[in-house]
Amino acid sequence: MLRFIAQRLFAAAITIWIATIAVTLLIHLVPGDPVQIMYATFQSTPEQIEATRTALGLDQPIHIQYFMYLGRLLEGDLGRTIVGNQPVLDVLLARFPATLLLTTASLAIAVIVGMSLGFFAALHRGTALDVGAMLIAIVGVSMPHFWLGLILLFFFALQLGWFPVAGSDLRSLILPALTLGLANAAVLARLTRSAMIDIFDQDFVRTAHAKGLPRTLVLYRHALRAGLVPIVALLGFQFAYLMGGAIVVENVFAWNGVGRLAIEAVFARDYPLIQGFILFFATIVVCVSVIIDVAYAFLDPRIRYG
Amino acid sequence: MAAQVEPVSASAADLGTGSFWWALVKSPSGAIGLVIVAVLVIAAIGAPWIAPFDPLRMAAGPRLQPPTLTHWFGTDDFGRDLFSRIVHGARLTLMIGTIAVGISLTAGLLLGLIAGYAAGWTERVLMRLVDVLFSFTEIVIALACLAILGVGLTNAMIAIGIASIPFYARITHSVVLVERSKPYFEAAVAGGAGHLRLIFRHLLPNVVPTLIVVGTLGISTAVLAAAGLSFLGLGAQPPQPEWGFMLSSSRDLISRAPWMMFFPGIAIAVTVLGFNLLGDGIREVLDPRQRQR
Amino acid sequence: MAEPILTVDNLCVTFGHGRNRNEAVKNLSYTLGKGETLAIVGESGSGKSVSSLALLGLLPRRSAEVEEGRAHYDGRDLLALSEEHLRKLRGDRLAMIFQEPMTSLNPVLTIGRQLTEGLIEHRGMSQEKADSRAVEMIDRVGLGQPRQRLKQYPHELSGGMRQRVMIAMAMATEPDILIADEPTTALDVTVQAQILDLMRELQGEFGTSIILITHDMGVVAEMADRVVVMNKGRKVEEGRVEAIFARPAEAYTQRLLAAVPRLGGYATQPTPRTVVPEPVPVDHATSVVDARGLTKRFGGAGLLARFGIGDRGVTAMDDVGFTLAAGETLAIVGESGSGKSTTGRAVLRLIEVDKGEINIDGRDVRKLGPAGLRQARREMQMIFQDPFASLNPRISVGDIVAEPMVIHGLAKGRELKDRVEALFHRVGLTSDQIRRYPHEFSGGQRQRVCIARALAVNPKLIVADEPTSALDVSVQAQVLELLLELQQSLGLAYLFISHDMAVVEEMAHRVAVMQQGRIVEMGPRAAVLNDPRHIYTKTLLAAVPIPDPTRQRGALPKLDTTTMPRGPLAEAAPGHLVAA
Repeated sequence: MLRFIAQRLFAAAITIWIATIAVTLLIHLVPGDPVQIMYATFQSTPEQIEATRTALGLDQPIHIQYFMYLGRLLEGDLGRTIVGNQPVLDVLLARFPATLLLTTASLAIAVIVGMSLGFFAALHRGTALDVGAMLIAIVGVSMPHFWLGLILLFFFALQLGWFPVAGSDLRSLILPALTLGLANAAVLARLTRSAMIDIFDQDFVRTAHAKGLPRTLVLYRHALRAGLVPIVALLGFQFAYLMGGAIVVENVFAWNGVGRLAIEAVFARDYPLIQGFILFFATIVVCVSVIIDVAYAFLDPRIRYG
Repeated sequence: MAAQVEPVSASAADLGTGSFWWALVKSPSGAIGLVIVAVLVIAAIGAPWIAPFDPLRMAAGPRLQPPTLTHWFGTDDFGRDLFSRIVHGARLTLMIGTIAVGISLTAGLLLGLIAGYAAGWTERVLMRLVDVLFSFTEIVIALACLAILGVGLTNAMIAIGIASIPFYARITHSVVLVERSKPYFEAAVAGGAGHLRLIFRHLLPNVVPTLIVVGTLGISTAVLAAAGLSFLGLGAQPPQPEWGFMLSSSRDLISRAPWMMFFPGIAIAVTVLGFNLLGDGIREVLDPRQRQR
Repeated sequence: MAEPILTVDNLCVTFGHGRNRNEAVKNLSYTLGKGETLAIVGESGSGKSVSSLALLGLLPRRSAEVEEGRAHYDGRDLLALSEEHLRKLRGDRLAMIFQEPMTSLNPVLTIGRQLTEGLIEHRGMSQEKADSRAVEMIDRVGLGQPRQRLKQYPHELSGGMRQRVMIAMAMATEPDILIADEPTTALDVTVQAQILDLMRELQGEFGTSIILITHDMGVVAEMADRVVVMNKGRKVEEGRVEAIFARPAEAYTQRLLAAVPRLGGYATQPTPRTVVPEPVPVDHATSVVDARGLTKRFGGAGLLARFGIGDRGVTAMDDVGFTLAAGETLAIVGESGSGKSTTGRAVLRLIEVDKGEINIDGRDVRKLGPAGLRQARREMQMIFQDPFASLNPRISVGDIVAEPMVIHGLAKGRELKDRVEALFHRVGLTSDQIRRYPHEFSGGQRQRVCIARALAVNPKLIVADEPTSALDVSVQAQVLELLLELQQSLGLAYLFISHDMAVVEEMAHRVAVMQQGRIVEMGPRAAVLNDPRHIYTKTLLAAVPIPDPTRQRGALPKLDTTTMPRGPLAEAAPGHLVAA
């Protein structure tokens, strides 16, 4: 198992490293002069523009730039935003926790609702219950989650007044979390159903039945326990997907996370902020993946005991 | 993002085109999906004739009017007829979906084929890069592309196309791995087949069924992504009648004109549902193993 | 016959509805006596497994239906029992073991848990009592270190060991009836012999009645008291095992028995039997293959392995060398992990060896560049084990057979079509099949297409990797006959890889025995098959079940693969080499 974890950590490190390279290259892919573009909507003096150019190291050859960036990174300096001239790191740190909170809450909802639905459907495979559950799931998968958000906003916030329209406390977390969570629950339901059906068809489940074990025992001790392994493997990816979805949902509910920041940054071509955002995002995704991989290693005896 | 897709077993009956369509129509998901997509295509092509009003014409009717007999879906805050806008939006939607998938599928297919065929270091390096891109998630890549290219519908289309490349590359690669280890491939090598023949005569045709399924499902993902980006203001710009953009304009007017939010959302949902069902139906037809599910 | 413990009466099982309806079992009736072993024999699709699964209520509820029939056991009709009643009998009085030991155990639960849960459920034992009983059973089935086994996971055990665990699980409650569905088909022949011995021992000790489902007539002859022969869902014949083998009454049974390769039939002949009027003799002067010192290692954790850290990988070939003359068949025999398949692929350079020389027709193919290799590939072809994956499903069989000729530019247009047609006829297929696709053919027919493909370039050498293992017995015989016929008319050399000694005896001029990457014995067929010198060869030969109920398989020599001689080959008799 140690070898497995070591491999994963190594791969994670490489991914983050390549991310830093990609992020540095980003500016250079911009057609035209990036610094001019950055300041396009501002009033600025030529001195300011040149100062930024030097600060970003854009007047140096690219590998020097990269090492400069890497060096600053290791000191925790992600540069300063163009809009407002604030330290990128501070700005991100102020907003990322809200996004993480939303993502985690949504994941919880998605897992509880989606996996139960999928498991239930797999159990009653082929019956009306299964078809019904999967119909709900496929409609859920097809719905744009921001639209679901708008609908929930309309009914629960505006019409019924149960929840606030915007805000940053726990009560205002509910609607956005439900939106993202339910939309993703549909995806998880389909995946879970598929994985469980695969398990039900396995030889060892037949063996368990042949031993005369009661159905619930076969289901929970044999099927579910074995099914956890592939399903947990899926969760890492789901977290990343949810974080991406959070970016959009935050805009529906004016939830003060990093999503709105990112959109504004793209509009304003605020490259230091965009670079910082991408790096932050990738790092978090990679870290969560590693955690989930470790959980996976624990659950699968073939890896745990090699 | 489409759910994890299993490679479609190429050992399924190789249906001729005629029986393929017939089988598709017989499967429930395939039939419904086909109908929805057909309606969409008709709407897209025939928009100028189907739509009663010019989608861009303001004050075609009174502002913010609920659905009536003249304006089936009501009007928006500029007095534009919502039904006409939605019908014209079908054109934009189809275009985005197909072109974005076209970009990602072609590039992803090439990457996956080369990586899977070449094996060794080439494969390892290529797939590692793909994995890294994959872990950025599609939306972040799309945002990065938009940051480089600037906002707009065409750029959004390209951004989504690029963002999905890792997904198609991975799927192609995993199918190629499976096919490469099958004896018929070894037999072709033993027969003296060269690289081109092995890739295009042996590997590619066995990758195509899976890609057809994945690509169809991918159109729905692309449509959702484009709508999302337009909703955020990064995609379609006013006054384009793109559905996602129409949803964002409806946000501040929800209480006064809920139909502005309702209809574009339904349009998106039905479109995505249609392609999902069609993709599921195609998968059922091409892989009889799945039929019992 | 002993007093009946189970009587099956007119069992009918169908799958699916309407147009997809398939009658898997039709009007099956038989009796199982107390303490006896009843073998249910048949080829694939005969319904032998389905009928037993039906008895225990293990058929998938959605697709399968028991339309009619009764199964009398202990005063009750099993088929009429409620699921709850049947469940209480399953795993307690009626036990079943399956074919695939690798997948029949739950990979995430310990062996101990899987052994004890049945005891706890059916006998109400406490965990401790169940654990002691489990330890007893593990010992009884011949697995060492019983206490540690309880905490191990299935992936830590080999296939044979897992099957022993399955047997322990089944026998722990001392059931009245044990149904064994192809229990040894997936195992190596030496392991198979041990498992069959174990089953007989336990039967003697516990008095269990066994229903043994198999397609292997040798296993039937060794284990069964009585036999039921099934074909396409129906019972063809039933009787005592001696009667069935000596005087089969039905045509199907006769065909089945005739098709079974019997070890010992041709063993004393110096060459395989002649099937054509004027066979091309073996040309000892022309060496088609001369391989020396082939070595290949797989796996190992890359960079780290070179420094001796971590997983060192598997040695697939260790200093393997042999010669093959024109028109001759050298059979490479071995069990799983012996490296025989790797050797076959290495000769064709489908795999690159780490060290060694491969001389085909005098030239070392290892030294050839791409152009030279392409040329060389005209001389050697391969046919594979899995007929279903050996043909590209997207290309017509005619195009598949034509491809090698197209690649080498041997024919075009009209001439190409003619040659393809000729090849099809040569292997026993018809012209109208040329434009069809692989999925429209049966396993045996596909293998014929593979042979036609191999012949297309007029090779001198064909490497045949277990070409008949995946086929039904009756089809096997036909394909082997075709191969013999082609060899004797065209003077082809075969490198014939197999795990089945009886098939080897049918085909080979010379035999090489491999174990864990090394050749341990090699020589003319009569020598190796009748006078084996190496202990591994002796064990292999002794383990093969003999399809003759009147003869007992000899006792297995005590073989320890870690201490047996694996040194360089020394000549024990002219042409007969044995590892020292």
